[in-house]
Amino acid sequence: MGILDVAALKILSSAAVLLFTTALLMAGAKRISTCVYLFAFQSAVLTAQVFATAFVQHSPEAYAVGAMVLLVKVLGIPYALLWLMRRLRTPHDVGTTVGTGNSVFIMAGLILLSFSAVRLYLQDFLAVEVALSAAVALILSGAFLMVTRSKALMQVLGLLVLENGIFLAALVTTFGMPFIIEIGIVFDLVIGILLMGVFAFRIRDTFEHLDVSRLRRLRG
Amino acid sequence: MKLALNFVQVALLLLTAPLLRGIVAKLKARIQRRKGSPVWRPYAEIWKLLRKEQLLPRDASGIFQLGPIVAFVTTLLAAAFVPVFQNTALFGGAGDIFIFVYLFALGRFFVSLTALDPGSSFGGMGASREALVAALSEAPLLLALTALAILAKTSSIAEITAWTVGQNFFDVSAVHALALAAVAIVAVAETGRLPVDNPTTHLELTMIHEAMVLECSGPSLAFIEWSQALKLNIVAALIMALFLPWGIATRLTPAALALGLAWFVSKIGFMALLLAFVESSVAKLRMYAVPNFLQVASALAILAVIFTAVMKR
Repeated sequence: MGILDVAALKILSSAAVLLFTTALLMAGAKRISTCVYLFAFQSAVLTAQVFATAFVQHSPEAYAVGAMVLLVKVLGIPYALLWLMRRLRTPHDVGTTVGTGNSVFIMAGLILLSFSAVRLYLQDFLAVEVALSAAVALILSGAFLMVTRSKALMQVLGLLVLENGIFLAALVTTFGMPFIIEIGIVFDLVIGILLMGVFAFRIRDTFEHLDVSRLRRLRG
Repeated sequence: MKLALNFVQVALLLLTAPLLRGIVAKLKARIQRRKGSPVWRPYAEIWKLLRKEQLLPRDASGIFQLGPIVAFVTTLLAAAFVPVFQNTALFGGAGDIFIFVYLFALGRFFVSLTALDPGSSFGGMGASREALVAALSEAPLLLALTALAILAKTSSIAEITAWTVGQNFFDVSAVHALALAAVAIVAVAETGRLPVDNPTTHLELTMIHEAMVLECSGPSLAFIEWSQALKLNIVAALIMALFLPWGIATRLTPAALALGLAWFVSKIGFMALLLAFVESSVAKLRMYAVPNFLQVASALAILAVIFTAVMKR
């Protein structure tokens, strides 16, 4: 077993730690741009995991999926979101309804919850358990970000984090979905971002802000 | 041989402390496109202060003169617990993580007393802020160290280092990542660096540490400045010993020791660069936002401790 094999196997388990850290940091972040960079980093970790899986499984399809994730989630979407932020010219805070310190505490609780939930079903070996609980934690943290952040862009980011979690869950349980489905999901995501970008412009033009907690009155 | 090396480690930490401070200041200046003062300036400053006359405020008591010395001695004692380039320390044994944390706390307590003693309003303000930061940063530091102690099954810093060196680099656990994040935040608060306290400011509304030492002069100021510089060195060495010990000398051959020393120098150089970069790119937090910042450290540290149970390693 060469050094590359060992490294690939370790990446699968160790990278989960980095995913927890990004989830916690996102809960603690105060600016939308910080969250976007963290999301790009999170996707980069996911890409490394996909490539590691591809290496272990010797499947060329997985390499293609990894390249697609790299292109879309690490480069494309963060760039688009940052461009959107510059064009929208609205305040850059995430619009917390729960304070950042408390958010980190709650996020820590969610991570523990995902660990205890996954533990009930898997007790065999550690690598998959950590990765799978990281996936559940990402799903929960994405949902948490969507619920507690009032800016429209943060809700998009929450959705993206949630999608990252689902992707990781698929990766660690079945070593990746079929290539064609993967393409469909990524295409879906790109269209979703496009629509939400247009929608964000419309909200900004109608209400002069992007705070969804203040969208209470009808404006024509 | 081993004992001599341990003394060398403490002396190294003590004597290079002003140099590290000078290097960080120089790097910051270069990042900000300034020329900066020479890296040896902190030595000249301490030497100048040591030769100067000690001026006492009118209402000061003996505590005022005692405080800086106690702060210096406690910091020096704390330095003796940290392995630097080889994996033992001068002092060590079961439970020394607690002694280490509370030696820092004792030093801060006496600096605060020094600030309160002359009865100036600035000193009181600085002392109260320092007490707030100290109270909030003590718990995360202790918890993060405890998490590592549980993993390594020993509560001595040197033994934790020795245990970590034996581990695989790729095998980093969640506990290490979380504890490192917590300790990094605490380190900023503990050494009075930028997001929490600005070491270069003399603007009364923002300063913490500088407000406390306003009344000090001559040798007392030299002791406080030197202990503050030493603290930065200790905290950097501690982070390296706990989280990145690979490269430290495990055997006492000259070659291994030289390699360990080279690793130490390169790692601390990297940390100085990182610190200078962070300090040049972040703004100081409002005083009321500091508890929030440290709350994040607490959450991370608590999670680290809980994870030691979850990860069963």
